[in-house]
Amino acid sequence: MTDDNQPRTDGGTATALPGDSHDDDHLPPRWSLKRWLVTTNHKDVGLLYLATAMFFLVFGGVLALLIRAQMWSPRAPGTGVLSAMAYNQAVSLHGLIMVFWFISPFATGFANYIVPLQIGAEDLAFPRLNALSYWLYLASGILVFASFFQGASYAGGWTLYAPLNIPAFMPSIGATTTVFGIVVFCASVTVGGVNFITTIHRMRAPGLTMRSLPLFTWSWLLTVWMMLLAFAALLAAVMILLSDRMLGTTYFAATTAGGSVLWTHLFWFFGHPEVYIVFFPALGAMAEIFQTFSGNRIVGRKWFIVSMVLVALQSFIVWMHHMFLTSINLEVKTLFMATTIGISLPFDLMVFALIYTLIKGRIRWDTPMLYAFGALVLFIVGGITGVFLGAVVLDYEFRGTYWVVAHFHYVMVSGVTGLIAGLFYWFPKMTGKTYDEFLGKLSFAVYFTGFNLLYFPLFLAWGTPRRVFAYRPEYVGWHRLASVGAVILGIAFLLIIYNLAKSIVAGDDAAANPWPYSTTAEWAVASPPPIENFPGKPSYASGNLEFLDDGATGAAAADGGTAATDGGHAALESGHGDDHHVDHASLWPAAIGLFTVVTAIGLSGLQVGSYPEGLEGLFYQGTSVLGVLGLLGSITAMGYENFTAHEGGLGEAWPFEGVENTKLGMWVFLASDVVLFGGFIGAAIFLRIAYGWEAWHPIPHNPIPGLVNTYLLLTSSFTVILALVAAQKRSRKGVVASLTLTFLLGLGFLANKAIEWVVLFSEGTGLDASVRASTYYLTTGLHMGHVIAGLLITAYLIWRAWNGAYTDGNDETLEYFGLYWHFVDIVWLFLFPLFYIV
Amino acid sequence: MARTKLYTGIYVALFVIATLQVGVEQIGLLESSYMLALALITVFSFVKAVVVAGYFQHLVWEPRSVTYVLVLGFVGFLALTVAASYSIL
Ligand code: HEM
Ligand SMILES: [Cu+2]
Repeated sequence: MTDDNQPRTDGGTATALPGDSHDDDHLPPRWSLKRWLVTTNHKDVGLLYLATAMFFLVFGGVLALLIRAQMWSPRAPGTGVLSAMAYNQAVSLHGLIMVFWFISPFATGFANYIVPLQIGAEDLAFPRLNALSYWLYLASGILVFASFFQGASYAGGWTLYAPLNIPAFMPSIGATTTVFGIVVFCASVTVGGVNFITTIHRMRAPGLTMRSLPLFTWSWLLTVWMMLLAFAALLAAVMILLSDRMLGTTYFAATTAGGSVLWTHLFWFFGHPEVYIVFFPALGAMAEIFQTFSGNRIVGRKWFIVSMVLVALQSFIVWMHHMFLTSINLEVKTLFMATTIGISLPFDLMVFALIYTLIKGRIRWDTPMLYAFGALVLFIVGGITGVFLGAVVLDYEFRGTYWVVAHFHYVMVSGVTGLIAGLFYWFPKMTGKTYDEFLGKLSFAVYFTGFNLLYFPLFLAWGTPRRVFAYRPEYVGWHRLASVGAVILGIAFLLIIYNLAKSIVAGDDAAANPWPYSTTAEWAVASPPPIENFPGKPSYASGNLEFLDDGATGAAAADGGTAATDGGHAALESGHGDDHHVDHASLWPAAIGLFTVVTAIGLSGLQVGSYPEGLEGLFYQGTSVLGVLGLLGSITAMGYENFTAHEGGLGEAWPFEGVENTKLGMWVFLASDVVLFGGFIGAAIFLRIAYGWEAWHPIPHNPIPGLVNTYLLLTSSFTVILALVAAQKRSRKGVVASLTLTFLLGLGFLANKAIEWVVLFSEGTGLDASVRASTYYLTTGLHMGHVIAGLLITAYLIWRAWNGAYTDGNDETLEYFGLYWHFVDIVWLFLFPLFYIV
Repeated sequence: MARTKLYTGIYVALFVIATLQVGVEQIGLLESSYMLALALITVFSFVKAVVVAGYFQHLVWEPRSVTYVLVLGFVGFLALTVAASYSIL
């Protein structure tokens, strides 16, 4: 602990307290493997994320070094260290791994560890779902790793452009597994997004308003909101792609109008927000570090936050600047050039705020500050070179060249640099050890030199075509310089890893607060923090961070009345008083991750509607069945398991006061589902317009069966309501009867649909009959998948209700299931006219 | 529960609107005046959706912020679909 006159920036002054010796109750010790398999604690999960992401950094880095080896000289196909196909795989998987499996999860690791500490929460809102996000992330990474061993991995570039992505051009099973990996990654991100959104909005300590939220938490909050919506669009894109590859729909086939343009729209609608998703956490870390090491509150804090919010919103309306060379019309290109200029304005404001913060302060150049400052410099270079690309006319020249490669590496790896700053900054907190300052500074010098040696020459060799290993001989000098830089940058990473590994084993113990002028709450607890994080209930109600006695005082005093809306729960929670019988262990998230891998490997064998011949086919089929059974079993077990999470709404909960955590989580999830269906429906509308709207007729000959299905679904929605009403009347019979009716109505829906499809198939209208048929089958098929999932849940609810659940005053589960079921109903209300009538 | 009556009324209304929606097709409006029919059918869908979300999902009784979360998702869908469609017109 340093001086007491710290500027009060984020929520109040941090005052370090000695660690509390709560042991990790209910959890195996840290040295046992079991601990890491069953833990749901946010700090453990954060460390798992960080370690796994580091592994993928090394993986992606090795691929990068292979690329640079191949680029040492201009090559003809078949010469150099890599074959042509191997090179394509290396380039594609390097991009995919760095963007998906390294940067974002690396940031997620910090967020997991730091955000609950910063907001004064004991854990995330849904600890088991947090573990589940991690295991799904690992599962997706294992799939990508496995894809190399199934013929060949994906080889068409990380942007997965159509029509190169369809089986006709990319036939290997491994390519399907890679795409499957992205699907699972999207699932992981969605689960994580729901969790963090609920947590940051509803689990803040009393007095910690949005205005006083620390900047790293702010940046992460905006990141997860962007993730929630952007990754839902990506999920739609990759699910459609999987369907093209596995089931034989023809969305992205070259022969259809608009197939490849459709992909670019879906991909870049995700892709541009993704660049901010990648950069924002680094920006937040940089802002924290700049404040701490300049001893200065960030200049224009309010405007900094406003700018971040603006950028997050604007990031969804600039995507077509990645499509200036497609056949989209000039008007829309011009429009998107304007929005691109628009988004750079708030970004400029943030950069200037950071610069002025430094100018105003006395800077201490510790390792975190060096990296953070380096990140800012690199970002400015990257941003300026991006402006060139944002201009339609210039992009005609630069598109598809090494200029783009250099630009996005400056911005993206600037983000990495910012996160490494965060790694050094939070290392003492996370490990309780001090890193070696000299080695840290040395690593920065090597890093910064290697980085610029690697990427700057690429601007000068910009005439090199992107993703190709042949180039004009006069560029050879620049490319060799870049390859040398790559090795130096690699050495810098090794130095960093060595420094931190050595310090974990033999470093000095770190104080609770090693950094003078730090102001956020993570520095007010021991390093590393005890499992329950805080020695009491954190509260900023007095303007400073205080730890109140556990129990009623915290909840009641804190909220100025809003806790009352949360009624029963608040009382329930404070009733527990001091002894936390919160269970922190669950094996099921890991089991779900495992069976996800098994399922995906099995299904990847499905190619255009059929499994391979013979033993190989048998293997894939058996694996699919095993995986699905395992998944169903472990999901059910997780649902059935007793697990108490921390209640929300006891402190600040704007703007969701009174919306209980699980309910909010459900709504946030449904918002992402809106975008998922939106992607599918948007794709169908887009293809129809490309085809000629009125020349396109519904696939089913007659709307009446569809109308019958509408009746069935509407009625089933009504019976779910009746179930809830019965539960409130404490009528077990009523609940069971209503739910059983719901189940039967849903079955009727499916049966009706099955008849329709069988008839269509027998008439020769398969999935691949036309794009029209593809959109009809796949979009209503996605909806059917939702119905089937709903029925499985209904069956489970019936069983639980039969055994007396929900009629004991705890009918929330029924209510939340209802939200989902009505949503499925609503989607049908749009699908029905779109695919049966108009 | 007094609301049971309300829910029942809404259920009946939804049933009727769904029938009307198909009625628009059955009377041949799509052939005679496509755009008008399309507009009518779309409006019917929206009315049903809003009613289900508002009452069956209780959005009218929740803080408005919950509705905004969904609107955010919907606006995302609109932005993508409208701008993408416009780009190839
Ligand atoms: C002032 C800000 C920026 C502007 C004006 C800008 C502009 C652009 C444009 C127009 C392209 C497309 C180039 C082409 O393919 O012809 C592009 C590519 C790219 N940018 Fe930026 N950018 C900016 C900031 C960023 C940031 C902050 C990041 C990431 C953190 C980023 C990451 C990327 C990536 C990854 C690509 C390549 C995508 C691909 O693989 O095709 N950019 N940028
Ligand atoms: Cu972009």
